[in-house]
Amino acid sequence: MTELGQIDLRSLAAGHKRTWDEFVQAASPLIHAVVRRAIASYRQSEDDVLDASQDVFVRLCANDFRLLKTYDPARAGLSTWLAVVARSAAIDFVRRRRQATTAIDDIPEAALAVEDRHIEKLKIPDGLLTERQTVILKFLYDEERDVSEIAQLLKIDAQTVRSTHHKALLRLREHFREDDP
Amino acid sequence: MTDRIPKSDKDLWRSLALDGSPSSAAVSDIDFAAWLEGRLPHAEAARVDAAVARDPELRACAIELAEILGKPLPPAPPRLVVRAQALVGFAAERSGDRTSRTWFTSLLSPFGVWQRGVMAGLAVVVAAVGFAMGGGLGESFAVRQYASVEDSTALLQPFGTNAPTQLNDLFTDNI
Repeated sequence: MTELGQIDLRSLAAGHKRTWDEFVQAASPLIHAVVRRAIASYRQSEDDVLDASQDVFVRLCANDFRLLKTYDPARAGLSTWLAVVARSAAIDFVRRRRQATTAIDDIPEAALAVEDRHIEKLKIPDGLLTERQTVILKFLYDEERDVSEIAQLLKIDAQTVRSTHHKALLRLREHFREDDP
Repeated sequence: MTDRIPKSDKDLWRSLALDGSPSSAAVSDIDFAAWLEGRLPHAEAARVDAAVARDPELRACAIELAEILGKPLPPAPPRLVVRAQALVGFAAERSGDRTSRTWFTSLLSPFGVWQRGVMAGLAVVVAAVGFAMGGGLGESFAVRQYASVEDSTALLQPFGTNAPTQLNDLFTDNI
């Protein structure tokens, strides 16, 4: 079976049937897995997963392969780009379905949750933390991911995650201690 | 070993909020894919970091895709493959045929001008030969008709065109 990396992208974007068939064979497992994972929390049926996966392929070839032609192999791998596109399409698919028919009981609780606006939070001023420090703290505390997961996700060493976290907290403590009356 | 952060740090973080709106920066699919692969230059990566930090949807996307990418995946249902393959079909093939014809035509095009000249010359030669052959056939037809008239006259005159003289010779005793 042809792998995604071996697909002739020019031939694919030109609409050649044989290349498209090879592409579908190679991309289907990834697209199906991404879609299934993306809409898992929405309790969709297997038919919905198939429809949402099909929707990804429709998007890719629609309007003379316009979306596919935006892919730039110099910037990112085809698998990663396809996974991003597939997830985004799957979320759109579920939202369209929900707007049409879904009963409120079928919507995950997390989607209905409303932030308690009575809790006043201190604002972190712009520039106090670097973007990288902020994103690491978000993954650690808001998403409750551990250091090794974050390191894998950001393609950096676990030690870099630890030191970035440490420096960020030092800055925060220092800043808000100064602000204390 | 799991690296869990001391609770006090977590509490501190949760008592804080980022400044700025969550939708301040849009990230394209290709930029986000490059960010996931760690291929963005520092400045661009910082822009995506900022967007990811502010947008829980992007964080969820990053977490999910990190769990899937680079890992062995089960095959997709055959029904999905068949349906998706059917999206590009005969229409594309026809356009492919058009492409082949265009390719073939373009291959001939450098020779097109003189080829048309040669073809026109050949057409003139064929027409001239045909005309000449047509004339020749007319002539031979006339000859053949004349010959047939001559033959029928010969039949009517078994003694030839000089028959009366010959008969007189027979009945006149000049011998």
